[in-house]
Amino acid sequence: MMFKGEIRKQSPKNLLLLFQILALLLLLAYEQMHADKMIFIMAMGLILIIYLSNYLLIKISSGDNYIFLIVTMLITIGIIVIYRIDEKLGIKQLTWISLGIFLFFLVYFMVKRLKKIDDWLYLYLVLAYLLFIITFAFGDRKFGAINWVSFRGFAFQPGEITKIVLIFLLASYYSNTEKWRHIKYSSYYIMGVVYSFIALLFLQKDLGTALVFYIIFASIQFIYEEDRKLILYNIGLFLGSGVLGYVLFDHVKIRFQAWLNPWIYIERQGYQITQSLFAIAEGGFFGKGLGMGHPDFVPVVYTDFIFSAICEEMGIFTGIGIVMLFMIFVYRGFKIAISQENRFYRILAIGISTLFGIQSFIILGGVLKMIPLTGLTLPFISYGGSSILSSFIALSILQICSEDMTSREDTDE
Amino acid sequence: MNKEIKRIIIILTVLCMTFISLIVYISYFQIFKASAIKNNSYNKRLWINEQTILRGSILDRNGNVLAYSEKEGDSYKRNYNYGSLYSHIVGYSYREYGKSGLELYYNNSLLNISDSTPINEIKNIVIPNTTGNNLVLTIDHNIQSRARSLIDGKKGSIVVMNPTTGEIYAMVSYPDFNISNLNENWKEISEDMESPLINRAIQGLYAPGSVFKVITAMAALENSSYETQYNCIGSEKIEGYVFKDYEGKAHGPIDLKGALVKSCNTYFINKSLEIGKDTIGKISERFFFNSRIPFDLPVKSSQFPYKEMTTDVEVAAASIGQGKVLVTPLNMALIASGIANEGEVVKPILVKEIVTKDGKVLKQSDIEILSQGINPLGANTIKDMMVEVVKSGTGVNAKIKNVTVAGKTGTAENSSGKNHAWFIGFAPADNPKVAVSIVLEEDGSTGGKAAAPLARDIMLYTIENIKD
Repeated sequence: MMFKGEIRKQSPKNLLLLFQILALLLLLAYEQMHADKMIFIMAMGLILIIYLSNYLLIKISSGDNYIFLIVTMLITIGIIVIYRIDEKLGIKQLTWISLGIFLFFLVYFMVKRLKKIDDWLYLYLVLAYLLFIITFAFGDRKFGAINWVSFRGFAFQPGEITKIVLIFLLASYYSNTEKWRHIKYSSYYIMGVVYSFIALLFLQKDLGTALVFYIIFASIQFIYEEDRKLILYNIGLFLGSGVLGYVLFDHVKIRFQAWLNPWIYIERQGYQITQSLFAIAEGGFFGKGLGMGHPDFVPVVYTDFIFSAICEEMGIFTGIGIVMLFMIFVYRGFKIAISQENRFYRILAIGISTLFGIQSFIILGGVLKMIPLTGLTLPFISYGGSSILSSFIALSILQICSEDMTSREDTDE
Repeated sequence: MNKEIKRIIIILTVLCMTFISLIVYISYFQIFKASAIKNNSYNKRLWINEQTILRGSILDRNGNVLAYSEKEGDSYKRNYNYGSLYSHIVGYSYREYGKSGLELYYNNSLLNISDSTPINEIKNIVIPNTTGNNLVLTIDHNIQSRARSLIDGKKGSIVVMNPTTGEIYAMVSYPDFNISNLNENWKEISEDMESPLINRAIQGLYAPGSVFKVITAMAALENSSYETQYNCIGSEKIEGYVFKDYEGKAHGPIDLKGALVKSCNTYFINKSLEIGKDTIGKISERFFFNSRIPFDLPVKSSQFPYKEMTTDVEVAAASIGQGKVLVTPLNMALIASGIANEGEVVKPILVKEIVTKDGKVLKQSDIEILSQGINPLGANTIKDMMVEVVKSGTGVNAKIKNVTVAGKTGTAENSSGKNHAWFIGFAPADNPKVAVSIVLEEDGSTGGKAAAPLARDIMLYTIENIKD
């Protein structure tokens, strides 16, 4: 029986290896003119790292071993497309992913060892504000939003880390409601804190992240808030501030108009979204084939609009596949949450699954013109160090959440 | 299950629903919206092909080249041989202004781009496509030139076609614009109040006036129960509204034939209620009112909204082609053809063949009967009446020596205050070779005076010059 279970655990990993090798061959077929030995070695290196990581994970973690496999598929698709668009970025992305996987294990071992992390609410609060202060003090404007901080040639987005801090903050509060009961209106304070984050993001013109913050908060609040009327206040306040934002801020208005009818603003604010629609429409169901499309026509194609490039060259069947991978990921994440007995880790799992779910929905819906477009990266697929690293950190925490944390507490205390 | 788990499952369900909605939306987008979006002229991919594929030529039925491409540096340049003569049929293909006419609607054929199927895509990778296909039109360059010279300086449209095959010999819309130097004149053209960019033959909706009476007359034949005799006193009162004959002239005792020959308004107004709006509506719909005529270029639907006509005055006005009735010149040509063709309405054809560079015919347009507008007996009865219109009625100016011409004039009142002058007809009546539809927009004169002589000229010219 043991042996049989082992095979079952191993086989998806081997299938994935096959998928990656085929994907690599596809890329080589496209790049045959100037196939570089170095790139081949690096790609094989990545496949090896991923294979070993999956192998290792089954050995060391008693938790879920599917989420990392799903993520592997996503990063493989992502890196092929990024490499095809720009070889240099592809190699950089390869580095970020290797670093991300390293960070995944580092965080996994460290955070798992930390005790009482559910008790550090004030630390999380200070950390979140600190990250905002850094953004405002050192931030650069990029693509219309201030969310990049450059340090010695490396640019990173503190907002990516703040998302995780927010989840810790909410988990820490809602897992210890007994402790905070002595403070009257403590739930109102938490809501105030979250709204202050959202307001700050609004000022940075980072509407996508603001929406992600709101949805994470609203979901956790919906599940755990005992004062149910607060949820209604929250929805009302959100709609109110949405309308207010539309009236007050031009950048909100422009995005909304570009969504309603981009074709009349095709030269200006509708340019990005219409180029994205052209790409998706050209791809059809099966795509034009790797290297046969024109991702170079789509602005910021390697980050926000990577999905359009994927649909153009690989078709919407691959596109739908990606959506389904995210859906399965979210499903696994919630399954982890439900089977987790420790409330703090359960909330963490809910928060992180919601984060990946809603962030991918907002950007996918945006590039499809299903909802107004707000700039966000597609987790694990888009190019970018901050996005990849923070996503692996979040994944690592979800991995911890998938393990039985109650038994550990019992033995520790 | 406790409350907490229940709520977690609610959130999970909501998230899954959003993902499913994405899948549904992306499929919907790809099936229903993608093809229109792909052909938007802002899609730069459309122009990438232009640089690598030699766009096909467009020729008339006798092989005259109307449009062709030639290599210029790295890309190809599009040339138009006849300036403004084919501005609405051929249209234009400019990077700056996009595409129109056949250049737009036959873009894929001209560039030899197959529909995007996996097999075609693989084929294209193995043998890259470098030359497009040629279009051979049904247009006769000489007839087109003649029609253009007839309407020069006026406003309106002339459609000349073969009533039995549906081939369009000439289709002129005026004012037009020069397609060979759009760059110099684009601003003027696009801002011109007379809208030269509109193809009036298929996109212009006009009040038909008395030419519509052929439809009413066909409806009258269909409804044999009514009293055909009538005494015309020059005016007719319906629900307190007075309709008058042209210049108030009384025609005296008159039957259906006499009414059509003399274009007696009061006859049709009086009888319209007996004939009934539903019968007129039914006949008009068989001649493609309220629906799209299948054609190589998009045609606006002519309107006879009889279901919305609530008062007798509206029905009466519609019976003589006024009020809510609107029609395209091509549709009127189709009606004339239908009567000429024993009631069979043929599909109008503009693109005769799609031919590869090597002369292989890829697609050929065949004669297609779209509907039986009226039974052959009825068609011949109306034909006889129309022959009489030209022989002794309002259409005498269309008379041709040794050729029997059938026709119907129209003088349509409209909001501009100046009447549209109409003529539809065909010749020779016993063996129709050509059908015409002419509208002179806001001409101010009558159809018999202004439009009939042009019809005479173009029909005669066509009979003498057309080669099958």
